[in-house]
Amino acid sequence: MSEIYAHDAPGPHLIRNGRLEADTSRPFVPEPEVPAEGQVPADEPGWIVPLSVWKTSRATLRRHKHPVAVLLNPDADLTDLADADGTLHPEGIAFIAVDFPVYTDGRGYSLAQLLRTRYQWQGELRAVGDVMIDTIHYQARVGFDSFLVKPGHDPHKALDAFKTFTVHYQKTYLAPTPAAATA
Amino acid sequence: MYVYDPVDQQLVEQRVAQFADQTRRFLDGQLTEDDFRVLRLQNGLYIQRHAPMLRVAIPYGMLASRQLRTLAHIARKWDRGYGHFSTRQNIQFNWPKLEDVPAILAELATVQMHAIQTSGNCIRNTTTDHFAGVAPDELVDPLVWCEIIRQWSTLHPEFAFLPRKFKIAVSGAVEDRAAVGVHDIGLQAVERDGKLGFRVWVGGGLGRTPIVGKLINPFVEWQDLLTYLQAALRVYNLHGRRDNKYKARIKILVKDLTPEVYAQQVDEEWQRIKGGPDTITQEFVDTIKSRFVWPQYDASAASDIDNTAALAAADKRFARWLRTNVHAHKVAGYAAVTVSLKPTGVPPGDITADQMDAVADLADDFGFGELRVSHEQNLILADVRRARLHELWLKLESLNLATPNIGLLSNIIACPGGDFCALANAVSIPVAEAIQRQFDDLDYLFEIGELDLNISGCINSCGHHHVGHIGILGVDKAGEEWYQVTVGGRQNGAAKPLPDLESTHGGGAAIGRIIGPSFARHQVPGVVDRLIRTYLGLRDSEAERFIDVVDRVGIDPFKQDVYADPAFAKPAPVAEAAHV
Repeated sequence: MSEIYAHDAPGPHLIRNGRLEADTSRPFVPEPEVPAEGQVPADEPGWIVPLSVWKTSRATLRRHKHPVAVLLNPDADLTDLADADGTLHPEGIAFIAVDFPVYTDGRGYSLAQLLRTRYQWQGELRAVGDVMIDTIHYQARVGFDSFLVKPGHDPHKALDAFKTFTVHYQKTYLAPTPAAATA
Repeated sequence: MYVYDPVDQQLVEQRVAQFADQTRRFLDGQLTEDDFRVLRLQNGLYIQRHAPMLRVAIPYGMLASRQLRTLAHIARKWDRGYGHFSTRQNIQFNWPKLEDVPAILAELATVQMHAIQTSGNCIRNTTTDHFAGVAPDELVDPLVWCEIIRQWSTLHPEFAFLPRKFKIAVSGAVEDRAAVGVHDIGLQAVERDGKLGFRVWVGGGLGRTPIVGKLINPFVEWQDLLTYLQAALRVYNLHGRRDNKYKARIKILVKDLTPEVYAQQVDEEWQRIKGGPDTITQEFVDTIKSRFVWPQYDASAASDIDNTAALAAADKRFARWLRTNVHAHKVAGYAAVTVSLKPTGVPPGDITADQMDAVADLADDFGFGELRVSHEQNLILADVRRARLHELWLKLESLNLATPNIGLLSNIIACPGGDFCALANAVSIPVAEAIQRQFDDLDYLFEIGELDLNISGCINSCGHHHVGHIGILGVDKAGEEWYQVTVGGRQNGAAKPLPDLESTHGGGAAIGRIIGPSFARHQVPGVVDRLIRTYLGLRDSEAERFIDVVDRVGIDPFKQDVYADPAFAKPAPVAEAAHV
């Protein structure tokens, strides 16, 4: 793998609002020794919390001045993200990130579709993990609008990849363009 | 034949450009082997024993003569002058160079062809009845529905990275010739209260866990077909196992959940999207229909002066071919003809570039420029005027394409096997040839009657051995190749009408049962012969087929006869097997 990093273009790897920017977010990892319940990051910008933290501490987090991002693993149960009434209330959520541990794990595509359609999530939806030049087009079509491009993949080429296909068969999915990545 | 509109064409061209870029990045070291592997598989490119293997899609088996000529050109220019028709209505080239593949794909795009989703864990080429559109027992022409599913499944953004591969088959006729019971989803057209719909079977499949599909919905109205498929795929995509590739097919999910629970989860998902934007309108069906060029049948064909019967009476060879290779047609005066790719000594499904060109000419002359590829690895000229059958037969004879064995034992289905495939444990092609040589007496073959014999070189089951009346599977034991024999498999309904309940289980498909310990390669033809002799001794009339006898008496008499025979009681020593 180290060899491939040599091809890395310097500079930012996050595609957001149709252009490249630096990724300022940082993961909040709860202490494994302590029950996750009640563990929340400091009230500062930029935290991404696991779904388990959001599930147990959403009331606390919603009182924060700085909203947090929520990270979903591919096996996430979306009902944990929603409130008790079954609907997803956006208060307190900066953005939702879906992790692709390997690009061949396609569950994140269905999660994104469900977030956009069933849960009516209008905010930022970020693909993170094994995000490649070659997956961005599909990811944009299921509703992702920001993309943390993985090391080894030229983020400028990734920006171009929105244009890979200009025609599509599936009517219910988006037709992405770099402009459409602007939520 | 479906003709591309500008959107179809643009999409295929953009896919070619995308793959060319991916290949270039891989060759330049900008894309790792791991990252490239699945990307190339999604475009039908395997790295095989000798070279890459490129699988080109022939959507639902429909092929135009100009497409076949292009395949011949590709075979000559980038391969070794031949191609191999697979058991899924596709064609495979075994010797292309990786760096040539983008150029091959560009060439294919000029004739509205591609290799999209011919491999990988995505929705594969939708397959159908090889007599689609011409079969007299058809309720609905499945070609239009296959094209609708082709478009829906092509580069589907949500279902490009499923837990495992996903195969859909569609049957529009009373007799299921699409083997809907052994696909991830099988769709059988049915009519209810004057409305068209589909029975939906899920979770059938071969491979290491052969299972006949379960009926999860007896009637999905045609308008709802795509939303129902979307719901079925979404449940699978989210919940199918990804921790073990041998347990990742939808059949395992359906088994683990139970068909009832899976059906219920699909229904819950479906209720949310049913009636939504993916609902099929009559206007859309009409648009797709209008993009097909349909054969313009000559009404006067029914009153052609036809001396076929007299010619057959005078020539036994022609008579045999008529009996096995000529099939009923919905239009009076026409017939469908199978071009046999199963002469003895040629790997099943193989065709040379010269034969491709010649068959393309025959398609232009005899069949509106169209052909079908069957999952039995033969070609079909679907619309031949009956009065010209003798003329066609003479031409096919001269091309070695008129072997009268369709439906008979020597029409063997076989995967490429260990001679080509990196996955195989054993060879398929030499075994097929040895069996064909054992049964080279045509009179005897006709006496045996209808019999499907299928050979797979490994448990991936590309040769569909589980659904052969006789199935042969290559297995590896301590580095030696052995062959396991099954009997009683079938890809569709039994001869007698099934009770309605049973007919809801996979269209009457059945998985063959293993008769006992495996055999050495050189024993296989003898074992098949022994099985046949048992059958001939047991049948109550010529009308009772091998599979019917197995259904009636079970496998025990076959098993006893084979293993009582000193020649097969014990596997021959390995040294002896090596002489074969």
